[in-house]
Amino acid sequence: MKRVLTLLLAFLSTFSVWGQNTPPDSTQTNPRLLNMVVVTATRTPKLLTDAPVVTRVITEQDIRNADVPTLQELLQTELPGIEFTYSMNQQVSLNMQGFGGSSVLFLVDGERLAGETLDNIDYSRLNLDAVQRVEIIKGAASSLYGSNAVGGVVNIVTRTSDKPWSLRLGSRTSSLKDRQHYGSFGIKRQRWNSLTDLHYTDAAAVHLSDTGDLRTIFANSSFNASEKLHVKISDKISVTGRAGYFFRQREKSEEANDRYRDFSAGLKGNLEFGQSSDLLISYAFDQYDKSDYSIASHLDVRNYSNVQHTLRTLYNHSVKSSSDTTVFLGTLTLGGDFMRDYLMSYQFTDGNHIQYTADAFAQWDWLPTSRLNIVAVLRYDFYSEASRSHLSPKVNLMYKLPRVNLRVGYANGFRAPTLKEMFMNFDMANIFTIYGNPDLQPEVSDNFNASFEWIHNQYNLTCMAFHNHVKNRITTFWRQEKNGMLYSNMSPVSISGLDLSLAIHWNNGLGLRLSYIFTHERTEADGMRSSSTRPHTATLHIDYSRNWRLGRTTLALNGRVLSAVTCDEYTSYSDLSQFEEITYPGYTMWRLSLRHTFSRGVCLTATIDNLFNYRPDYYYNNSPATVGRTVALGLSFDVDKCFSN
Amino acid sequence: MLVSCDGIFGGLYDEPAKNSFGFIQRDDDGHGGTIRLDATSYTRWSYIDLHHQHIDTANITLGQDAPFEWDFAIHHYDVKTHDGTATESPFDNVGMAIELEELNFVADVDSQVVIDMSTMMEGYLGYTPSPVNPVLSHWLDVDLSTMPPIYVLSNKVYLLRLGDGTLVALQFTSFMDESFAKGIVTLHYRIINTPK
Repeated sequence: MKRVLTLLLAFLSTFSVWGQNTPPDSTQTNPRLLNMVVVTATRTPKLLTDAPVVTRVITEQDIRNADVPTLQELLQTELPGIEFTYSMNQQVSLNMQGFGGSSVLFLVDGERLAGETLDNIDYSRLNLDAVQRVEIIKGAASSLYGSNAVGGVVNIVTRTSDKPWSLRLGSRTSSLKDRQHYGSFGIKRQRWNSLTDLHYTDAAAVHLSDTGDLRTIFANSSFNASEKLHVKISDKISVTGRAGYFFRQREKSEEANDRYRDFSAGLKGNLEFGQSSDLLISYAFDQYDKSDYSIASHLDVRNYSNVQHTLRTLYNHSVKSSSDTTVFLGTLTLGGDFMRDYLMSYQFTDGNHIQYTADAFAQWDWLPTSRLNIVAVLRYDFYSEASRSHLSPKVNLMYKLPRVNLRVGYANGFRAPTLKEMFMNFDMANIFTIYGNPDLQPEVSDNFNASFEWIHNQYNLTCMAFHNHVKNRITTFWRQEKNGMLYSNMSPVSISGLDLSLAIHWNNGLGLRLSYIFTHERTEADGMRSSSTRPHTATLHIDYSRNWRLGRTTLALNGRVLSAVTCDEYTSYSDLSQFEEITYPGYTMWRLSLRHTFSRGVCLTATIDNLFNYRPDYYYNNSPATVGRTVALGLSFDVDKCFSN
Repeated sequence: MLVSCDGIFGGLYDEPAKNSFGFIQRDDDGHGGTIRLDATSYTRWSYIDLHHQHIDTANITLGQDAPFEWDFAIHHYDVKTHDGTATESPFDNVGMAIELEELNFVADVDSQVVIDMSTMMEGYLGYTPSPVNPVLSHWLDVDLSTMPPIYVLSNKVYLLRLGDGTLVALQFTSFMDESFAKGIVTLHYRIINTPK
C-alpha cells in the first residue's frame, strides 16, 4: 500500500514540471479561503482569519471533490477525529474526539434539528447537494448555542441562488447498487431569490458477514425536498422563508419497514438600523416522526414524534470610536430563544411530554487594539421539565502577528437532560426495563484551548491543544433494586489532545492537506478504560486540477488513518466488576476520484472507494461497513451553463 | 387535525389495529381458520382445543393444570402437543395440505422452557421442565446473538396428528401484532381428516 501511495505522490509531483497557471480546486488549500466569511464562532459574520475560535470550513468545492454521498462520509473524509459507527439496531452513532452524538450540536442555517435515535440525530436528513459550506467548531459552545454544544458545533449552511437562473441535474451510482438522483432550480431577481432542491437515494441491502456484530446493512431509500425564498422588502428589511420535507424508509425485516419523516419550516426577518445595528427575528418549526410500516397489513403506525417550535431574536450593535468613526471598537450581540419541545414516544408509559426552554445571552466582541480581539459571552438557559438552569460563560482571546494568529480560550458547555432521559419507561423484550430519571443533573464541560496558526503564501499550519473536563455525563447504569437500567450521571471524564493541520497549495494546481489528531480520554472513577475513542487519527487530501481545451480535470486522493484502540467492556450488565479487554483494530481507507467538468456544465465523476480493498477480519459495530473496493460513477449537468457565455 | 402545536399531518398515519384473540376467522366449510393468541408471557401456556374451537390458559408458576381437552399448546414460541406427533410438510399453505404417507412424524420430547427472563442480564435464565414438540417449535428461529434479536419465520406448513388420529395442517404466520409487539402469535389451521 505504501508503495502505491509513493507512486501516486510521485505521479502527482510530476505535474509541477508541467505546471500551468491553474487555479486550485481545493479551496481548503487556497489562501483565498481565508477571506471567507463564517458565522458560527460568534453568531455574527466574520472573516475566517478573524474568527476568535479555530473554525474548520468544508466548502461546496470540497464537497464536490470528495464525491461522497452522505454528510457522515464527508465529515469523516475531511476531518480526523470523527467516526460514525453503528450502535444497537444498526443506528448511526457519532464519536467526535470523545464526544457522542448528543454532545455535538448539529445546526442547519443555525437551527436545531428535532428527533433522535439512540442519542443521534438522523444524519441522512442532511442533503449535501443543498449545502454551500459546513462550519465546524470543536470544543464547547453552549454560551452561544445552549444545550448539546459540549464537544462541538457543526453548522451546515445551505446554498442560496446567486445566478439569474440555474438548473442542476445529477445522478450517482455505485457498484453496491446505491443510487442518487438530485436536482435543484434557482432564480435570482433584484428583490428576491429562490432555490428548490430535490434529492432521492436508494441503497440495496449489503451483506457484510455471517458472524460479526455487523452482518447485513439494511436497504434504505430516502427523499428530500426543500425550498428557500429570500425577499428583500427594502434596503433595510429582508425576509427569508423556507420549507422542507424528508422521508426515509429502512427495510428492517420481511415483516416491517422503519419509516422516518420530517417536516420543517421557518420564517426569518432581518432589519437594519442605521449603519451600526441589525435585528434578526425568526421562527422555526421542525417535526421528526418515526413509524412502523407493516408489509402485511399496510398499516403505517406512528410511534415517535418530536415537535419543536423555536422563536429566536438576535441583535447586533457595532461600536465605533467617538473620536474617529472609522475606528471599529467592537460588536455587542444580545440574543434570546424560546422553544417548545413536544415528545411522543413508544418509550413512555405515562403519556406525552412537553418541555419549555428559554435563554438569553450577551456577547461583547472587543477590539482594544488592531492586533488584539477579546470575545466574552455569558448565557443563561432554563429548562421547565428538568427544572434546571445553567449559566454558560466563554472567553476567547486572539492576538494577530504578521503571518501568525494566536488564540486562547475557555468555554463552558452543558447538556440538559432530555425528555427521554427523564421519563423513559421502556420494557426491553421482558428482559429488563430502562427507566428515566427526573433527578438527572445537566452534563457540564469546561473546555480550554490554545492554538497557533501560521499563514504564509501557499502554506497554512494550525496547531491546537485542547483539554475538556466533563462532569455528570448522562448514561444508563444497571440498578439491581429496579432490575433494570436507570439513566444516571457518571464520574468525570477528561478529554485532552492535540489537533494539527497543514495545508499547502502550489500555483500549478496541486494541493495538499494533512490533518492529525491525538485524543486521550480518561474516566476518573475506577481506572477502567471505558473509552473506545481512537487515540490517533489522520486524514490526507491531495488534489491536482488542470484546465484543458475541453474543460477542467481534477484528480483527488483522500485517505483516513485510524489507530487501534484498546478498552475495557463490561461482560455483565448487572455486575460492574466483570469486564474484559477488547482491542478494535486500526485501519486505513482511501478514495481516489477523477472529475472532469466540460465547459458547458456537464461533469463526469469516477471514484474508487476503499482503494486498497480493506476488509475487517471481524465486523465490529465500529468497523467500516465495507465489502472491499467499490466503484462509483456520477454525472451532473448545470443546464444554465449551456446558455451562458 | 392538520395543524396543532403538537405536530402536523397526523392523518398520514394509521391507528394500530386492535388485537382480537381466539379463533378470529373460520373457513366457510368449518374445517379450518385462523387463531391469534397472546403468548407474550413466559409463565403461561395457551391450550388450543381445535374440536371445540376453544383456548384456555394455565399459569406455570402458579402450578395451574392443563385443561381436560386440548390438542396443542403454545408457550411464547414453544409448542407442545397432547399426545400428538408432528412433521414438516412440503406444502405452501394449509389449503393445499393433504395426507402424505412417507412423512416422519415426531412426538414431543422432554425439554425445558424459559419462565423467567428477568435474570438474563445476570447471565442466566429461569427454566422449568416441560415436554416440547421439536418440529413444531421450529416455526420461528430467534437469534439472540444480536440486539435486537433477529426473528425468522419458517413459513412452513406443519402436519400435526392429534392423539385421536385427526390430521391437522398448521402454518404460523406471525409472531407479533400490527404494532410489532412480539409474542402475539397468529396461525392458520386446517383439519385434513378425522378418524373414521
